[in-house]
Amino acid sequence: MSTNTKILTQEFEYFAPKTLEETLGLLCKYKDKNTKILAGGTDLLVKMKTINLNVDYLINIKDISELNFINTDGGLKIGAAVPLSHIERVGKVKEKYPALYEGIKSMAAIAIRNMATIPGNICNASPAGDTIPPLIVYSAELKLVSKRGERTVQVEDFITGVGKTIIKADELVTQVNIPEINNNSGSAFSKKSRVKADIAKINLAIWLERDGNFCKYCKIVLGSVFIKAVRAKKAEDLLREQIVNDDLFIKVAKKASEEIKPIDDVRSIAEYRTDLAQVMVEDSLKLAWGRAGGEL
Amino acid sequence: MSEFKIVGKPIPRHDAWSKVTGDLKYADDFSLPGMLFAKVLRSKYPAAKIISINIHKAEQLKGVQAILTAKDVLHNETVTKFGQSTEVGKGFEGLYRVLADKEVRFMGEAVALVAADTEEIAEEALDLIVVEYEPLPGVFDPVEAMKPGAYLVGENGTNIIGEFGCGQGDIEKGFAKAEVIIKDTYKVPFVDHAYLETEGGIAWIDDYGVINIRVGSQVIEHFRDVADVLGLPHNKVRYIGTMMGGGFGGKEDITVETYLALLTWKTKKPVRLVYTREESILSHSKRHPFIMKYKVGAKKDGKLVALDAELVADAGAYPYLSPWVTLYATVNAAGPYCIPNVRVKSCCVLTNNTFTSANRGFGAPQPNFAYESIMDELSHKLNVDSLEIRRINCLTTGKALSTTGQVFKTHVALPEVAEKAWAALGEPVECKEENRKIGRGLAIGLMSYGRMTFLHDSSRSYVRLESDGSVLIRSGIPDLGGGQVSLLCQIVAEELGIPMSRIKIYYSDTALTPLAGTTTATRQTYMSGNATLKAAREIRKRVINKAAEMLNVNPEKLDIINEKILVNYDQSKYLPLVKVIKACNTAGIELFCEAQFNAPFTITPDLLNIRGMTFPDFTFGAQAVEVAVDTETGQIEVLKLVTCYDVGKAINPLSVEGQMEGGSIYGMGYALIEEVIMEKGITMTPSFAEYIIPTAVDVPDVKAILVESGGGLGPYGAKGIGEPSCSIIAPAILNAIYDAVGVRIKSLPASPEKIIRALKKDYFEK
Repeated sequence: MSTNTKILTQEFEYFAPKTLEETLGLLCKYKDKNTKILAGGTDLLVKMKTINLNVDYLINIKDISELNFINTDGGLKIGAAVPLSHIERVGKVKEKYPALYEGIKSMAAIAIRNMATIPGNICNASPAGDTIPPLIVYSAELKLVSKRGERTVQVEDFITGVGKTIIKADELVTQVNIPEINNNSGSAFSKKSRVKADIAKINLAIWLERDGNFCKYCKIVLGSVFIKAVRAKKAEDLLREQIVNDDLFIKVAKKASEEIKPIDDVRSIAEYRTDLAQVMVEDSLKLAWGRAGGEL
Repeated sequence: MSEFKIVGKPIPRHDAWSKVTGDLKYADDFSLPGMLFAKVLRSKYPAAKIISINIHKAEQLKGVQAILTAKDVLHNETVTKFGQSTEVGKGFEGLYRVLADKEVRFMGEAVALVAADTEEIAEEALDLIVVEYEPLPGVFDPVEAMKPGAYLVGENGTNIIGEFGCGQGDIEKGFAKAEVIIKDTYKVPFVDHAYLETEGGIAWIDDYGVINIRVGSQVIEHFRDVADVLGLPHNKVRYIGTMMGGGFGGKEDITVETYLALLTWKTKKPVRLVYTREESILSHSKRHPFIMKYKVGAKKDGKLVALDAELVADAGAYPYLSPWVTLYATVNAAGPYCIPNVRVKSCCVLTNNTFTSANRGFGAPQPNFAYESIMDELSHKLNVDSLEIRRINCLTTGKALSTTGQVFKTHVALPEVAEKAWAALGEPVECKEENRKIGRGLAIGLMSYGRMTFLHDSSRSYVRLESDGSVLIRSGIPDLGGGQVSLLCQIVAEELGIPMSRIKIYYSDTALTPLAGTTTATRQTYMSGNATLKAAREIRKRVINKAAEMLNVNPEKLDIINEKILVNYDQSKYLPLVKVIKACNTAGIELFCEAQFNAPFTITPDLLNIRGMTFPDFTFGAQAVEVAVDTETGQIEVLKLVTCYDVGKAINPLSVEGQMEGGSIYGMGYALIEEVIMEKGITMTPSFAEYIIPTAVDVPDVKAILVESGGGLGPYGAKGIGEPSCSIIAPAILNAIYDAVGVRIKSLPASPEKIIRALKKDYFEK
């Protein structure tokens, strides 16, 4: 075990490019080296101090104006350098994407949210990342850009394991796109932790679309219960295109809790996480259903 | 004397502004030209033989100025002292080993010291030191460690380093008379002090060849211990204590000071060493985990007839303050109750866990959790309400402590504090949600203030009235952030009739301030408050006598108010204080005084049968809480938190409330969240990402009720509050959880996981 000495003992080269083009050039040039993007640094710098994450080249993208935007026309488009605290202050986020709003608000303290970014949270790929379940339920996609071109990837497909993603060494996540939400849909986020400003024991997001008393479509995603945030697909199947009632929500919640594979760790234990998942899914289903205008 | 002018008033501390503006310089906010940076190489294993240490490569690194291992320390092994100058016998003093030699006993134990030109180089040098270890099995459970044939942590033939006992009556006959008997075992974990400011300081050698150590320490008297390690005369080591960002007992043992002294002595250059948070959690002392087996017997009406308690404390790898803490727990084991038949047996045991030592409460919170839990069990079993069962059993003035027979000649505010705390909860919060259950809990307790009387404790303080009417105080008192220093200013301002702004205090300097003893054991208001009061009153007497002579009136008719000496409180008839001072100076009357206050002295008791006085006095308190428990998630919310203590006299009510609120939250963390998890000696919670403490958003409003009986031994009848304030809250919260959902958690912290498990067990059993 190593300790956080508050100092970065390793030598690295630091860049603070002003344009995207410049950044992509650097990424291309140093793609075979240990190159890291510094967006907020709230995870990266800690890792560089504590787990000896080797970095040869550090590229700070904070000052790139092209990456500093929030566009609310037709869904949400958020630049990669926008701090979380800016996103939570956008009216549309709270109004239309409450799961994302609640997920961000649940994260750490304001000082951290003033620095941290959504792509940072996703690329860090912690199983407990609080923006990840909301982004997956909203079918958010990431724009990945490199000298070679660009591509878009669903957040759901982007993360492959603990700290693992499909991003290539020369690519940069430049923005997050979240599609527009139907008015007859509802969503919710829930998280349990030891104290309020803490990493989740378990977090989850639910989004569902209502047609009268039918649930047309739904997504249930749980975090901190597997190597990455997971969709409870069997639970979703139980709910999709069904007439909604209390009993159904109980069944769906039970199913969701059976699908996850939590572990014992320093924050909680598997047995409790399983129990908790059921309770949280049920409560969040009710909340999301209510937000979609549904009644029980 | 007339009414109080400054004492008892909620005034800002004299140093409040400098803290708010950031002007105040803590241990870390200081540097000297040419200063070196120190780092400590720590053991990778909780138990291992050191085969060899190779520092060759590290020495070659450019910028490395010194590397020290055990062989470089003149007296690497001495004896643990904590400012006491009295011989207290073998039971209380253990091995103090500066650097690991031949073996390591816990993970994080210091093995080597490095001083280098920069922090980065010092860090790099640590990586270049090659230590060859041979891991040993170790022992990590105190109960296992007690068994014959257990792995031996130290050099003695046993891991048990302290055994204590006390009691009264006949335990067998007592239980024979009982109509109901409850037996249970309670457990409490390791916890960290988690102060804002980690351990740190800077040392240098001054023009006279004296090692100066500027450090945040609760015990500046450690200068003697540091001198002993280096083989220097005591007067060649000087501590300059800084204001501290919290101590809570964690800066009672030597922390960085010996390392700083060794490195500065070796290099002849200033050296700085500040622990990182992770280093602090890994390597400094923890609160003692206890396993507490309790058995109580009572009559059907709730009247207690017998109590039997067996306490086992995990001392970790070195003794430090473990025997002292265990003695505290032993004396406190029967709580503030009159019980005719009592037997308490306790011991502390070495293991290869991180060593344990002082932590706010010092052995009082652990048994308090046990006896107040079992009292609550009794109250439910007999259907006698929580307040009533305490009312019929509690100590009152003139009664004696059931463990040692120490008689309370001072005021005992029981059951008053319990009644007030319970009543202050008011109407219960209404809750319509089916899964959210509301519950209430009460706990009472006692804790000593002032050190154990067989330590023959004393404090000294110096007060000087200047010719312009300003005052200079010199006191060795360390201030942990509790307002210890400001308190002395307030007492002098009161006695000499001057405003706080006219006082300058020098504190915590072993060369220049009279030694005031440790800021531990909740002793400073009592000890240094009294010493300062004594000095101030002596000067006051001299000034008043001179004024009486000048005015030709009886001194009893005079008082000093607002820098004027008034006759019969008549604002029109007075002498300016300055005029009297001048007259005193002309007459050669001394307007300075260094006074010493001594606590009561007793002899060291028979440790297996402790009888009579062991502490000067006790503080009594009660805490009441209302919680909401979610039966589906086990989440607990403390809705109301009341803390009520007899503080004797609140010299500064703001500081007293601050202690009571802070103490409640400190104890709330202990009750619900905090635990240093150790697996086979390895700390699994090495940073604040894993070791969680409550923050502002997790804290309920705390209602502090101050009872001022005037019955304490401190100045103006004050009692100590610093440590008692955190020692009762845990059982109050756990009793409230039981009231809410009917499950009794017997091991801290009461996490949602434990509550859900207990609720499920309950459900399946029914």
